[in-house]
Amino acid sequence: MNCEVAHERIVAAAYGELLDEQIHELERHVLGCPECQEDREQLLALKVLANAHPVLEPDANLVARSRLRLEEALDALPPKRWYERLSQRMTNNFASMQAAPVAACLLLLVGAGAGSLGGYEIAQRHAARAAQNVQTAQAAVTREQAQTGPAEIANISSIVRQPNSQMVEVRYNQVVPQRIEGSLNDPAIRQLLMLASENSASAGVRDDSVGLLAAECRDGHGCQGAGIRDALMVALRYDKNEGVREKALKGLEPYVGEDVQVRDAVLEALLNDSDARIRTAAINILEPVGADTSVRQVLHSVANTDQNPHIRNVSRQVLSRVPEIQ
Amino acid sequence: MAATKAMNGPKSAEERMQARAPEMELIREAQAGSRTAFDALVRQYEQQVLRLALHLTGSEHDAEDIYQEAFLKAFRYIGNFRFECSFYTWIYRIVTNLCLDQLRRRKTRREDRAVVLDRSGDEIDLLASVPDGRSFSNPAKELDRKVLGERIQEALTKLTPRERMVFELKHYQGLRLRTIGEMLNTTEETAKNTLFRATKKLRTQLAGLR
Repeated sequence: MNCEVAHERIVAAAYGELLDEQIHELERHVLGCPECQEDREQLLALKVLANAHPVLEPDANLVARSRLRLEEALDALPPKRWYERLSQRMTNNFASMQAAPVAACLLLLVGAGAGSLGGYEIAQRHAARAAQNVQTAQAAVTREQAQTGPAEIANISSIVRQPNSQMVEVRYNQVVPQRIEGSLNDPAIRQLLMLASENSASAGVRDDSVGLLAAECRDGHGCQGAGIRDALMVALRYDKNEGVREKALKGLEPYVGEDVQVRDAVLEALLNDSDARIRTAAINILEPVGADTSVRQVLHSVANTDQNPHIRNVSRQVLSRVPEIQ
Repeated sequence: MAATKAMNGPKSAEERMQARAPEMELIREAQAGSRTAFDALVRQYEQQVLRLALHLTGSEHDAEDIYQEAFLKAFRYIGNFRFECSFYTWIYRIVTNLCLDQLRRRKTRREDRAVVLDRSGDEIDLLASVPDGRSFSNPAKELDRKVLGERIQEALTKLTPRERMVFELKHYQGLRLRTIGEMLNTTEETAKNTLFRATKKLRTQLAGLR
């Protein structure tokens, strides 16, 4: 160790900034070097002298005065605006990124990678879904061409029966209007007729469909199932057109005796229908089952209380013809 | 002094972190705009700030100005504090910069004062409060204390502001050279060299007093 280094280390040692092994080394040097001994003595003397300029604790008044002045100054400061806070936050974030450039770069890379992968996945799924939709649509078109179902029919526009034939032509609308032609015995045609009897906006179409279904029932062509009878009962109960209701009633006539539901529907028509002709026809239809207790009660009620004298009269006539107890 | 020494004590990093936790919470609240939290920080450091400024400038008026400016700056820029150093180092950095500016201005004006001025401009004899139990204070051996104090102050004013600051922070405030380097935005080695130069100059200046 030379004296120049020793002088620096003497200062460091005097202020407790020298490592232990350096202290030992310095001690060995100083012991054999009068110049460095003197240097150390001068420094220690300086430390003592410097303490003659002491550090004073600030006066309490000075502290209080300073604090008061600071509080006034802080109160006078305008509150920070939102954009100032935002700017400061952005600056801090930027500074943080500067402080960790590697982490920032990695974060950016990971973010970019995740974004690309996510975008690719989404694009793949989108393409797969689009392809699936196309396939589904194509399959639907194929099925539509192969089979026409009632769910695809918007309404029935017309029904025409070919003279002296079992053939009937039903015109109906789909999303794409279509046309079907077939026998009255064809289930698809019958389905359309039943749909027309319930849903068609045109009274003429309802009249045609109910008339055809009623004729089928009267002729005994496949009305054993509930479908057509139900359609006729619905028409009898709810259709606004009296012509349609009348045809429905005629169609149900063969089943009054065997089907209690049909009988109830006819009784309701007798009691509630607004058209006298229908009610009269209902009475006549019910005559074969006049011995039925419920039918007799209704006939008695109508015979006694109905406002229409013709209805009352017809009811009495029917009641007089049927035996009291069957 | 006790506070500063405690900062440099042989505590583990974990212990220091635990000790700093309440202060960090205060800082976060102050960053969020809490004036109460900032006031608490001011009360925690105001004695040390005033002590340093008063000793460096030798003027109550200047110390008060430095106190005011330092804490206003701290309030304005506390949002920029990122916990990379202790708040103590951060606030001292602000104060030392302001003191350095003040010393440089004074150096330019050659405004050397051997006494402290209070707010009203009256002189305060710092040496009057020095305890009388030291060997060099014996009038029979050396100069009287008043002359001695004046000579020391005069010698200190001969240092560059940076040397003066390093000597102040090391000798009077008892900070580690590494902390001083952080405060002055320099390295520990540079701070050590600056301290060496300061002591050398002071020894030359005060050679006649030994």
